[in-house]
Amino acid sequence: MDKTEKNIGWFVIIMTVLIMLWGTVDLKQRQTVTLHVGVYAGSYWDSPNGDCYRILDRVIERFESEHEGVKVEYVSGIGSQDYSEWLTEQILLAKEPDVYFVLPDDFDLLATSGALAPLDSMIREDASFDTEAYYEPCLSAGKRGGIQYALPQESVPTIMIVNKTLLASAGIPMPSADWTWEDCLSICRKVTETIPGAYSVYDYSWPTALYANDAALFSERGDYCNLTDSNIREAIRYVQKLEELNDGHIVTSRDFDLGNVVFRPFLYSEYRMYQPFPWRVKKYTNFEWDGLPMPAGPKGDNVSLLRTMLMGMSARTNHPQLSWEFMKLLCYDEEIQQDLYTYSRGISPLTAVAEDSNIVSLLQEDIPGTTEFNADVIRRIMTSAVEMYRFPGCERALMMAENGVREEADSDSSRGDGLLSLQREINEYLSKTK
Amino acid sequence: MDTDRRLKDTSLIMFAINLAIIVFYGTICPVTTYRICRSLQAYEFLSAAKTIPQNPLMMPLGAFLQFGLLIAVSMRKRRKDDGDPFLAGMVCVVEIFLCIGIVWSLNFYYSGIALLVLADLINYIRDNKARVLLLVVLIIIFALGRYEVVSSQSGKVAFSVYLSYYNSRIQGYLSAIESVLISSNILLFVYYMVQLFTGQMAEKERIRTLYDQLKKANAELERMTAIRERNRLAREIHDTLGHTLTGIIMASEASLALFEKQPEEARKRLEAVTGAARDGLNDVRQSIRALRPDTLEKHSLEQALHEMVAKFEAATSVKVEFRQEAGDLYFARDEEDALYRIVQECLTNAVRHGQADHILLTIRQQENALLIDIRDNGKGAADMKEGFGLRHMRERLDLLSGSMTYGNRKEDPEDGQEGFYVIASLPVRQIKGGN
Repeated sequence: MDKTEKNIGWFVIIMTVLIMLWGTVDLKQRQTVTLHVGVYAGSYWDSPNGDCYRILDRVIERFESEHEGVKVEYVSGIGSQDYSEWLTEQILLAKEPDVYFVLPDDFDLLATSGALAPLDSMIREDASFDTEAYYEPCLSAGKRGGIQYALPQESVPTIMIVNKTLLASAGIPMPSADWTWEDCLSICRKVTETIPGAYSVYDYSWPTALYANDAALFSERGDYCNLTDSNIREAIRYVQKLEELNDGHIVTSRDFDLGNVVFRPFLYSEYRMYQPFPWRVKKYTNFEWDGLPMPAGPKGDNVSLLRTMLMGMSARTNHPQLSWEFMKLLCYDEEIQQDLYTYSRGISPLTAVAEDSNIVSLLQEDIPGTTEFNADVIRRIMTSAVEMYRFPGCERALMMAENGVREEADSDSSRGDGLLSLQREINEYLSKTK
Repeated sequence: MDTDRRLKDTSLIMFAINLAIIVFYGTICPVTTYRICRSLQAYEFLSAAKTIPQNPLMMPLGAFLQFGLLIAVSMRKRRKDDGDPFLAGMVCVVEIFLCIGIVWSLNFYYSGIALLVLADLINYIRDNKARVLLLVVLIIIFALGRYEVVSSQSGKVAFSVYLSYYNSRIQGYLSAIESVLISSNILLFVYYMVQLFTGQMAEKERIRTLYDQLKKANAELERMTAIRERNRLAREIHDTLGHTLTGIIMASEASLALFEKQPEEARKRLEAVTGAARDGLNDVRQSIRALRPDTLEKHSLEQALHEMVAKFEAATSVKVEFRQEAGDLYFARDEEDALYRIVQECLTNAVRHGQADHILLTIRQQENALLIDIRDNGKGAADMKEGFGLRHMRERLDLLSGSMTYGNRKEDPEDGQEGFYVIASLPVRQIKGGN
């Protein structure tokens, strides 16, 4: 090695060391850290929301006052329809926000692709954070393979809407919160027998019903389908029985709006949307209605389907601790979570907030007349709810199952192997999506 | 060498091909990413890729940077090969790490860079064990650094996912470019290795030919040495036996002549003959044993010369006048031998051919040469024909870079008397105590 080469070598080494030193010093001395948050506009729950950034702005304001030198930014105006595409685009360009909302349908992809940072170590090290504060189903919505990738921010269960006017005119009392398939069937039978032009159910399909019969159509990761499971067969038969009461009439949402249908599953957010004053008058004018948990099957419990909005942290963030603090403020702080009830229409995943007597009574004040929807009902729904399938290809698989079962029913074949071959077909499709 | 140039050219083309491959992947991946984002297919892409890709600019940046370093290391190594094994080892380690780094940066789409590094290093490393190690390490990198092998652990997006963005026609073009580049790299590597090994075989062949020639030359040299030795032996025999026998013959003749008138003198002469014969015999033995005069073996040159002169006088009744004017005489053994034999030969010649009865032997120094001047009062030589004895004297002197003149004393203007003279000149290499 001659002298100039040695000099060049030294120069390179010194420059590297200087750059590294500058990097660390710079990180420490930089006065403002900017935390980017990914957020969608509007409501994910199909219910118009006038002031979608209100909660976030309040959180940001509080976070910035609690963390000096930290600035929180978000890109506004991305609708919930475009949010998934926007987020994946940012990920592809390695420009994704530090913390972002995770739509229920996107969670599986973001967790498996490594976009979301595992939170287990954060949770373990944070003494002020206790997972027990959450409803278990909400928390496990952010889990995959036993690892917590996201925190639940807001949950929306499916509840059963009851046409109280129809019930009253048939002389049937409102069922209790722990009602069963049998109760539901006998009510429908009675109403359809006594009131002409009344129908049993709308939009209550066997895939919605089977959760209440301790069944699952797909395995958690969507590896296989259990279509031939006896509990599922039971659910299929049960829903068929309910539909048979309609004498072949295809019930539409208009039938329900006109007050001719006894039961209809509804998202809790829609329930809250249409219950209070202006909407209630516009939507359902000629009948009284209320919500109930889903009826329990003979093998199961009053289990509802659950959709949970999650919040995750980018696996590539430079500020994991700040991101965690921000997530915690948005998803774990009770004061912030209470705002959900003012600015959004979900249920808080925190037990203390969801069952808070002030909040429950505030909600009940919105509803004219009496309502059975108290804190006990909320607890009953939230503790037993089951998260919707979210694995890739689940929509298509579900459609295949529903169509197959319908064809099977229409063909009138009483042989059981129709379902078996359908199950095989779906499993084949599922293995292809892996 | 021709092979060396061809190897260098091949490896240069390999560098170019590999650069093209890096440009290929380093362009396709980011460009496709931006196109995907523009056409709102990011979600679909991520669903197909099943893993988040790295920053689209990191791939070309990382790969180019490391490839640049690889070229720099390779160039420096070529420019200055000082054969330091530590430095060579360092170069190998650095190049292997850069190779792994480039393969990693390129998302394991392409591991042929290992072949480039192998071709670059295999000719540089001379130790066979190190070569085998290098070969094994780089072939492992080449074989295992494939996306198909490491995809499950790497968390990298498959290249086919990027390709699937394009329609089948463009996919076809891109795949064709990819496979042409990759296979030309492999072909060039094979060509390089073939060149390298045929080159080495030619080198071995050349060495074998040279070795044959050397063997032949060696045999010739041996033959020449044998001839020279034979000549030397002949000279030795002539010098010792010839001298002694001449002395014996002359002494015996003299004894015969004196036998009647002076029997006592004749007896003395015969005794001298016996002594001379015995000395001759010793000399012969000595010659056979060490090919060296006995007297010289025991005494210094001057003493040996004095002894020889005394014996000569005793055996031949020729008066020898010995003048030693050169101071102390210290010579190398070969020079002593030569001096001794020359004096011996000249004395013998003087009696044998010139029938002289007085010889003047002078040893003196003239500038950087030692001169041995021998003049007899014999009848000289009628026709100057160099016989065996004179020729051997000349040969001896030639070997020591000396020279010799001889002739009738009449022809020497400074002398002009009857008789024969010989002047041998020997360059002085070492005379201790001389003036």
